[in-house]
Amino acid sequence: MPSSATAGKIARIMVAFCLLGVVGSAACRESEPPAAPDTKAAISAAEHEPAPANLMRLTQAQYSNSIHDILGDDIVVPSRLEPDIRAGDFIALGAGKTTISARGAELYEQAAYDIAEQTLEKHSDAFVPCEPGSLSDAAKTEECAGEFVDLLGPRIWRRPLSSTERERLIAISTSSANTLGDFEQGLVFALAAMLQSPNFLFRAEVGLEESGTEPRALDDWEMASKLSYVLWNTTPDRALLDAASRGELTDDEGLTAQIDRMLEDERARHGLRAFFSDLYQLERLDGLTKAPELFEHISEEVGPSAREETLRTIEHLVFDMRGDWRDIMTTRETFINRKMASIYNVRAPAREGFAMATHPPDTPRQGLLGMTSILALYAHPVSTSPTLRGMFVRTKLLCQPIPAPPAGVDTSIPEPSGTAPTLRARIAEHLEEPTCAGCHNQMDPIGLGLEHFDGLGRFRSRDNGVEIDASGTLDGVEFEDLSSLAVAIREHDRFGVCLTRKYYQYATGQELPEGPEPELVVAISDHFAASDFDVLEMMRAVLSSRGFRTVAAPATQHSQSEADAAKEEVE
Amino acid sequence: MRRKFHRRAMLRGMLAGAGAVTIGLPLLDAFLDNSGKAMANGERLPPRFGLFFFGNGVHPERWVPVGEGETWSLSEQLEPLRGLESEFSVISGMEVKTPNDIPHGSGEAGILSGASLIIEGEHNTFRAPSIDQIIANEIGQTTRFKSIEFGAQARGGSSYNGPDSRNPPETSPFALYERVFGAGFRAPGEDGEVDPRIALRRSVLDAVMEDTKKLKGEVGANDRRRLDQHFTSIRELELRLARLEEDPPSRAACMRPDEVPMMDYPDIDGRPQLTEKNRAMCDIMAMALACDQTRVFSNFITAPVNNLLFQGAMAGHHQLTHDEPGEQPQVHAIVLQLMEEVAYMLETLRAVPEGDATLLDNCGVLITTDVSYGRTHSLDEFPILIAGSAGGKLRKGYHYRSQNKENASKVHVTMMRALGINAEGFGVDEGFTPDSLGALEV
Repeated sequence: MPSSATAGKIARIMVAFCLLGVVGSAACRESEPPAAPDTKAAISAAEHEPAPANLMRLTQAQYSNSIHDILGDDIVVPSRLEPDIRAGDFIALGAGKTTISARGAELYEQAAYDIAEQTLEKHSDAFVPCEPGSLSDAAKTEECAGEFVDLLGPRIWRRPLSSTERERLIAISTSSANTLGDFEQGLVFALAAMLQSPNFLFRAEVGLEESGTEPRALDDWEMASKLSYVLWNTTPDRALLDAASRGELTDDEGLTAQIDRMLEDERARHGLRAFFSDLYQLERLDGLTKAPELFEHISEEVGPSAREETLRTIEHLVFDMRGDWRDIMTTRETFINRKMASIYNVRAPAREGFAMATHPPDTPRQGLLGMTSILALYAHPVSTSPTLRGMFVRTKLLCQPIPAPPAGVDTSIPEPSGTAPTLRARIAEHLEEPTCAGCHNQMDPIGLGLEHFDGLGRFRSRDNGVEIDASGTLDGVEFEDLSSLAVAIREHDRFGVCLTRKYYQYATGQELPEGPEPELVVAISDHFAASDFDVLEMMRAVLSSRGFRTVAAPATQHSQSEADAAKEEVE
Repeated sequence: MRRKFHRRAMLRGMLAGAGAVTIGLPLLDAFLDNSGKAMANGERLPPRFGLFFFGNGVHPERWVPVGEGETWSLSEQLEPLRGLESEFSVISGMEVKTPNDIPHGSGEAGILSGASLIIEGEHNTFRAPSIDQIIANEIGQTTRFKSIEFGAQARGGSSYNGPDSRNPPETSPFALYERVFGAGFRAPGEDGEVDPRIALRRSVLDAVMEDTKKLKGEVGANDRRRLDQHFTSIRELELRLARLEEDPPSRAACMRPDEVPMMDYPDIDGRPQLTEKNRAMCDIMAMALACDQTRVFSNFITAPVNNLLFQGAMAGHHQLTHDEPGEQPQVHAIVLQLMEEVAYMLETLRAVPEGDATLLDNCGVLITTDVSYGRTHSLDEFPILIAGSAGGKLRKGYHYRSQNKENASKVHVTMMRALGINAEGFGVDEGFTPDSLGALEV
């Protein structure tokens, strides 16, 4: 479809101009990227298995972002909360499995009082809308506590409160105020109760029971939370909750309008960063371990700087350029600070902070796989790891699962020797072992294509004194080094569908089985391709699909073993 | 580097427990009967359970001692425990019987829960509760903390209540100190008014439990289980608060640790300060036990598959176990470092007198890891030590050598029975056994 592709390019250029403010707003409105109607129809028609009804716990980042959005950016959120767990690819999916431990309950309690005290100290003007007068005037104190609960309760719980819930919070406030002889201290306890409640810490996606259909449609409030945490990684704003109260989020047009509004908000950029950071496990860069005697550049600054480089580059491609996602493999443009410039041995583009730099065309370094974030994270503390790097490409970029290694085998790689001085040669010896070769042949040759970059991502031309040979093949396509490997991955037929699959899982909270892609994922992926791999267009398609808007009815029966385990837990 | 802690911050806010504190006399040894095993009023000093769990295994041929029964001598890798031989027993030749599906993960679940892993794609979790929680449910219900988990480089830890329900360990000595001895803690004899806020916090928790109950009615069966855990956690927190309102347990050896640990232990030469952190945490833990704040602890010092750069090592621990050639001198040195930490922990427990015995005597400590030989992830010839005598019920100074690869779960049954728990057995399916090791029972 060359004509539609061309139209898409023009549209994206227009959008770039719009974002830069080069053209007027009328032109911008007309330049919405066209989506080929046939791919949209295919999405509507595609079969899908509904996600199970879900109960997601806020991740640490979501907790913190929500507090800042509701109670103020100046609230210091305690950093110690129940740890997140990763399930499959995502912490976001782990949030649907994890619970709250005894230690976690303690941490949430401490955090709740800490935050509530700060809120009343710093923002009583904003959140205490009335003068209670004397505590002995019970009616007036209650009324005023009620106004406080009405103001913050629905924001914190992301839905209207029932009268029982409202009364309970008011009762906490008044009895605490009376015990301590201080009205605002009463509000601290009421606020702390809201913040420890499962109504804040969890978000349920169980759908409307009365819809009577299978799958069930999520209700407006569930949609508001889901949209917000998926797209922004934070709590719904007032506009989104208002739209929910008007029933707009269960309506096609209303939903589209909100998705469009949300994508234009700055928070959508934070949400995109959260998705890619979760997908590539970039949070692990905070604890990056490299032997300092081998890597003179290593410092605490490296991990966070490398992450920022990757996320800025992705954000620029997706939002500023509305570019072709596949270019993430081959772009020579990147955003670096002085630290990263010294690792890459290029001139720092800015004296302070991050700015765009362009890798020269005569080096293999380019794109995502030329970044320290990936090269260092998927390596060992003292060396590279063709296996970890190859596994990253297979599982994260191409969605091709690699089984875990069998237990009970000796997995050691032979030491450097006269006959096998380089890592490539040592691995070749190792791969003569047939039990290893099956899987390692899927990974190691790709990783060996990155041997020009050491365990910190610095360029080198020799390994142990011998010229590096970074050539290989990827699923039948030959490559010489990263320059051609990056192109081979960019053109791989799994590349676009893989990102679609990952985002679908991240957004719906549904773990997809291995094997052939579900029809709905294929349809959205086709739409992604038809939009010239515009990531925002793919996200729109996922968020407005039935896969996102419906869930299976919650299972009502415990299996026997579950019932036993549940009993044990309560005991 | 030592960052002093602000007293003001500790007392700030809602969590300040005791108001005006007056210092009274600590409980004297006179309150104990002559044997030191029981209080004069007839209450027996409680047995405690401890777990020391490290990652990546050992070299079995350099770990297993020569000699059996009562006549044996320390092996090369147990050498750091010299001087403590009479305080622990070695159990060798045992096998983890659960299937070895996932390297490290299966051994971890097998030795700690006696069950196979639940494997869902790339996500794994325990099928059954881990030994520390099974024991805590029996002997941990009357103290302020049912159990305490910590570990200098622990990551997520391996203490499970059940599938996907972990008890995350404390990794900061400062945070561990704060948790046990921070605001609200009173040593025996320290008198003080109980802060009225504690009761208010409890009524807030009641409201939270109401919210949890309501939400439970709306979700599916699996999610109800998760909310049940949340409910239990809140209830336990409420109990902890209630115990702060009571008089503190009378224990002669209980003293508030006189030094607050450092806030940060920055890496040195890119290597974590494993020893320093571990020792600070062991010191706090010993006093938490002496003050009867808990009777169950788990020290998850390093995690399975950890690739930490140890002091003096030239590569990460996990990578070395696979790639270091020959006799693996660096892996060996790491095992020795870990055994030094075991020795420190045991010595610290031994240094606390409880009547004419020691705190260590009143503990049963299980010391083990996730694989036998790291290089091959083997599960036979599993490395297991037990230390302390659980109040005179476990045999010490003994090398029990299994001749026929007995089920490692027998160790857990032995331990539970020594702690006075009437256990029908331990483990699930292949991992299950109803039997204990009679040779180690007193």
